[in-house]
Amino acid sequence: MNDTGSENIGAEKFSRIRRIILTRVLLAPFIILMIVCSTLVYYFATNLFDRVASELTRVADDHRYLIEQFFSERTEDLQFIAGSNSFQSLRRQERLSEIFHVLQSTSPAFLDLGVFDKEGNHVAYEGPYRLEGKNYSQAEWFKAVCEKSIYISDVFMGFRNTPHFIIAVKKIEDGVSWYLRATIDTQFFNNLVENIRVGKTGEAYLINKDGVFQTRKRSGGLLMEVDPNFKGYQSAPHRIMSFTGRDHQGGRCLCATGRLKSTGWFMVVRQDYFDAASPLIRAVMVAIGLVFIGGAGVVLIAFFLASGLANRLTLADAEKREMGSQLIMAGKLAEVGEMSAGMAHEINNPLQVMISEITMINDLFEDCRAGDPMDTETLGLMSESVDQIGLQIKRCSNITQGLLKFARKTEPVVRSIVPHEMIGEIVAMVEHQAHLEDITIRQEVDPGLPEIESDPAQLQQVFLNLLNNAIYAVKDKDDGEIRITSDVDDEFILLAIADNGCGIDPDQLKRIFVPFFTSKPVGKGTGLGLSTCYGIVEGLGGNITVTSELNVGSVFKVHLPRAVSLKK
Amino acid sequence: MSNVQLLIVDDEERFLKTTKALMEKRGISTKTAASGVEALRILDETNVDVVILDVKMPGMDGEVTLKRIKQTYPLIEVIMLTGHGSVDSAVVGLKMGAFDYVLKPCDIPEILEKVENAYVKKQAMENKIRKVQVDRMISHPMAVFDKNGKD
Repeated sequence: MNDTGSENIGAEKFSRIRRIILTRVLLAPFIILMIVCSTLVYYFATNLFDRVASELTRVADDHRYLIEQFFSERTEDLQFIAGSNSFQSLRRQERLSEIFHVLQSTSPAFLDLGVFDKEGNHVAYEGPYRLEGKNYSQAEWFKAVCEKSIYISDVFMGFRNTPHFIIAVKKIEDGVSWYLRATIDTQFFNNLVENIRVGKTGEAYLINKDGVFQTRKRSGGLLMEVDPNFKGYQSAPHRIMSFTGRDHQGGRCLCATGRLKSTGWFMVVRQDYFDAASPLIRAVMVAIGLVFIGGAGVVLIAFFLASGLANRLTLADAEKREMGSQLIMAGKLAEVGEMSAGMAHEINNPLQVMISEITMINDLFEDCRAGDPMDTETLGLMSESVDQIGLQIKRCSNITQGLLKFARKTEPVVRSIVPHEMIGEIVAMVEHQAHLEDITIRQEVDPGLPEIESDPAQLQQVFLNLLNNAIYAVKDKDDGEIRITSDVDDEFILLAIADNGCGIDPDQLKRIFVPFFTSKPVGKGTGLGLSTCYGIVEGLGGNITVTSELNVGSVFKVHLPRAVSLKK
Repeated sequence: MSNVQLLIVDDEERFLKTTKALMEKRGISTKTAASGVEALRILDETNVDVVILDVKMPGMDGEVTLKRIKQTYPLIEVIMLTGHGSVDSAVVGLKMGAFDYVLKPCDIPEILEKVENAYVKKQAMENKIRKVQVDRMISHPMAVFDKNGKD
């Protein structure tokens, strides 16, 4: 009748076990996988950014050197011209243009060449513009070159209205100074710096000490504009700095900056953060992909493993239950064996009485046959004997019925039970034995206890067993007493059997419900009684507990649900 | 035969009553006791030759009662009344000096026979003792006084 129910419960149990296994099997590897992946990504990222930074630093350093080189070569060119020619000879246009062509053939960077006297008058010029005669005494570059004798300007517009910069050198001839100035082709100069590429977005450019672009910035930044990111740049006088900065639009970038000694400009090499991090992003994507693919594999395998395992556990559980019911049966049989000896003894007493009565009746018949009158007295004696025989037969049948009731293989059959009456019946079965051992059994079960729904036969087995144990415990005591008390709450009723007997050793108390554990002498107990009780009470949805103190007594408490839900 | 004094000890009252009636009918004067304690009291008060003693009784059980009887009245013969399941207790009883045992349930004639045998044995024993005493009296007449004095 419980087949479908137990199947449902079985399936539920199965999926619960599987869920538990799955979560445990999956969680641990997943956490480990995450830790491993994130550690790897972390180290990869650190390494990657270090590498990018050093790459940028290297580029910045190389190009700074290149540009310094360029400046010093161009300066040397001019100094050489100034040194090898006199002011007077250079004033001549033919001489100047001759020298300029030689100069342009050594370096196409030169755009023009001019000669100035000590007042800053442009005395001779060779180049695409017409600049002779202008006075430069107030020009910044002229003031600077007077002081320093070599000057390289920032990019400026000047008289020609196009961005350019100049290199000027000072020459002192017979105590009078004159100046030589050359304009550098910004296009040519730009190409030196602008063509540097690192990754997709990596670029290099020059800014002066006020943050004005000296070369174009490929990602947007024209000559002579102010670099909006200038404030974020870090610099050190002699070495290349690399750092992670934030540009004016909020994007992050990796930068390397170095200072040019000759002009005080900054060499900036810069790469977008995401460009620099693109190998990292690829690696992370691959890692995530692997985690997902591997994870899917693990989940699949774990699912099958867990199913298999849960299946086996469920089977084992079913087997265990089977064993449990077999154990109950075995316990019952053992109990029957033990009891039948006692029962035989119980039956012998009434038989003995009956034999006496029959002998008495026979005697009376003999007397009558021998001639005694069949008077009222004789008849009275006879009927008394017959009554007595009837009484004794009833006694026997009570005993055998009790035994049968006990030995019957009982399917769990749920009926309404009045606890008070049930205990009364069970006590009646052991009362005689208790009486023989001089034991008082006090029934203090509340007659007002609610009816419960449970299996009477199984409960009978439980309480008989507990009572027999109690009798065994108190039988060597003079004032042996067994009390059966009760209590009730919303869900459970409590029936407690307390004795004042020998008590149970704490060591043994732990194992008391273990099958085949017995404290009785060999051959006296099977060790199945209490384990069977335990199995039955659990099976009926209740529980059984014990407290005991050596030489004071034991209390067995049986909690029974008021309505049993047969759990299988 | 008729002068056997029998005591039946059993906790089954009806058994006591009927058996007493049957025994008296057969000329055996019978007393009954429902417990070991009562049995010892009766033995103390009256003269009994044979005791039929149930092994399983509440209070003082058969074995203890037997021990007491044999201690105090070694000449009284005891027949143990045991069930099938407790033949062991019969063996214990015999070792402790019971004359015989009867398995429950048993016929009255069987009990009767064993009672008679027991009585015969007791009488034989008593005769033997008397004879020894007489012999001794004859050989050492003066010793009678010593003996009596000692007893």
